[in-house]
Amino acid sequence: MPREVHTPLIVTYALRRHRSARYQRVKGFFRDILTNPDYPYKKFFDLFMIALILSSVWILVHEVKHPLPHWVDVYDLYVVTLLFIVEYTLRLWVYSDVHEMVLKEYDDALMLGKPLSYLKIAKRFFRSKFAYMSSPAAIIDLMAILPGYRPLRVLRIFVLFRLFKLLRYTKSINEFVQVLVEKKFELLTLLFLLVFIVLTAGIAIYVFETHVNPKINTLFDAIYWALVTISTVGYGDIAPVTTQGRVVSGIIIVSGIAMISFVTSVIVSAFSVKLEELKENRLIHDLNKEEAFLILCGYGQMTKMFLRQKDYPLEYIILDSDADRVAAARKDGYNAIQEDASRYEVLHRFNTEYAHVTLATLLNSDIENIYITLNAKSVDASIQVIARMSDRKMEHKYKLAGADHLLMPDEVASRMLLMAIEQPAMQQAVVHLLTGRSKAKLDEILVHEHDHYCCKALEAIDFKQHKLLFIGIYRAANGEFLFNPAKELILEAGDVMLVVGYHISITQFEKDFRSV
Amino acid sequence: MATRKVHIFGYGRHGQRIASGLRRSGYPLHILEQDDVLIRKAYADDYVDVDQVDMTDDDRIEALDIDETDRVVCVMDDEHFNVFVTLTLRQFHPKVEIFSISDSIHTAEKLTMAGATTVIDLYEVSATRIHNFLNKPVTTHLMSSILADKRGISFHEYTIPEGSFLHGRNTEEIEFFRFNILLVGVIDHELGKDLIFITEGINHKLDSGDVLVCMGKNEDLKRFEETIKRRTI
Repeated sequence: MPREVHTPLIVTYALRRHRSARYQRVKGFFRDILTNPDYPYKKFFDLFMIALILSSVWILVHEVKHPLPHWVDVYDLYVVTLLFIVEYTLRLWVYSDVHEMVLKEYDDALMLGKPLSYLKIAKRFFRSKFAYMSSPAAIIDLMAILPGYRPLRVLRIFVLFRLFKLLRYTKSINEFVQVLVEKKFELLTLLFLLVFIVLTAGIAIYVFETHVNPKINTLFDAIYWALVTISTVGYGDIAPVTTQGRVVSGIIIVSGIAMISFVTSVIVSAFSVKLEELKENRLIHDLNKEEAFLILCGYGQMTKMFLRQKDYPLEYIILDSDADRVAAARKDGYNAIQEDASRYEVLHRFNTEYAHVTLATLLNSDIENIYITLNAKSVDASIQVIARMSDRKMEHKYKLAGADHLLMPDEVASRMLLMAIEQPAMQQAVVHLLTGRSKAKLDEILVHEHDHYCCKALEAIDFKQHKLLFIGIYRAANGEFLFNPAKELILEAGDVMLVVGYHISITQFEKDFRSV
Repeated sequence: MATRKVHIFGYGRHGQRIASGLRRSGYPLHILEQDDVLIRKAYADDYVDVDQVDMTDDDRIEALDIDETDRVVCVMDDEHFNVFVTLTLRQFHPKVEIFSISDSIHTAEKLTMAGATTVIDLYEVSATRIHNFLNKPVTTHLMSSILADKRGISFHEYTIPEGSFLHGRNTEEIEFFRFNILLVGVIDHELGKDLIFITEGINHKLDSGDVLVCMGKNEDLKRFEETIKRRTI
């Protein structure tokens, strides 16, 4: 490409940024820690910022009556303010990628065969950065930096904006604001009504009492009185003295009571609707902080039985689109939310990036289960899916959809019953080995690199002394199962040993096995 | 062993699967069903001994030719009937072995109370499997392929025949590794009817009639079946 020779310097620079893995990593890290609520370390950053803010506000309050040592002033002026400035700059930086804009602009220019316009790049740049700077959160951030400017003492009160900054780091306050925003229409209507009544009553009292009542001299006094009265606060510093004035008070007192109860009911109803949602959000949010968790689709018999077998190793959540079943699950004391697992947005809310997610779709219908499997795999292929299958003919479809494990309850039960008739002792063995109830169980022991027995021959291990029966080794490296291998076999890291024994024998063996 | 007759009550989704499995192993079968469509299906699937029976008719069930040593499988699609028939059968045949599948959480207990000998709890078995998928993936994978006979490795149980060299020997002194199989457990009739895992560390004295559960490659298991019939090795 001959054009490459003329590539402007800024584009070369942008390209280098675009290709640099290190740059992407660093920016990704800051983006996560500042803005990604699912990022596991974000909470430490948030806690640190909260501590910073509280210390700053404490200094403001303490300073009113006590002289402060010099270092506190230095801390407040330089440390806190500087960190706020750094945070503000970082947020501004991660909000958008300048090099991407340059490249986009360059691509457009190449396509149209026009020269690269620096003005357009600059416009794009300022527009995107300004979009961030004019957002309420960014304005509060900026205000919180201002008290650092000492020549203007008035700015000290802006420290209070630092309190507003807390909103950023605490989720529940945000949700409270969200509720109010959702009831904007009702609240605005009420506000309009309030302004109307206060103005009318204020003007009325002004007209009736200005020359009679020494306390009311201006229209502001009258409106102030109306506001104090309608809110049922009633300081009593201004009180009507004429009959007409008292009639006006009577009217606004009654309308004030009505209005307050109205406002209360609007907010309460908004909250009671929203509260469920908030709880659900909190459940998902908490779950997303786990390293691994389980999503159970449908609260049917299978899920019930699964949860009843108490030893589920993971945190879990039940998704069911039926309100009655969700209510039943909650009544039984399980974490359930009313959501449809076949919707993309629902599964997308889970943290599939940092956590190991397993989804079990245990519904009665193959169509639903296949759909949910597909949905999970489309959200993130790393989600491990366990699906219940009712019809053997569907197996191919499940495999195509990407299900990792298939479970066919009818078949499993029939096979067990057959075994119970044909080979009852073996059936007992299988049931015990798999459930591990009361008697010996079949368990697996992973060989780690640093284990005492790693890279040694099998004969070094005395299984019999540990009251264990050694079945074989699963070698993950080549996906091979070595049944009852020869004693000379060398154990490798990553091997999984299968042993049969009592729970206590296995635990003890694992302990001895790990010790050096 | 395979001469004991199996009476299957219900030719629904479980019944069909169990019947075909048992037929493959050569058991004489007797299928009982009350639904016209399923009766016709049973005939169409080439079962000969098929009867249409009203399950609520006690006299009819009492008149059935069921021997005390026979086995009964109650797997009708309606679980109420399973409980009901189990009760009825228990009343007429106190000793017969009754097998059933429980299709919902609380039925397993009812079936046991009604007198079923072995109840497979469909949901429990499945739930256990999900737990195993999560906790012990390798084991589960291995066990399911063992059960589906895919890896050439499986379990087998042996009843020690009369006059076998195993008679009167201790489990400790028998070198199972020479046969390339593992002894998993024993039903030692001197100690009771339950399977005792070898890992309990008991040195069992074997007698004819005791049951050994072994694990190994299919061909080795088959060879061992022949071996234990011999008086000496």
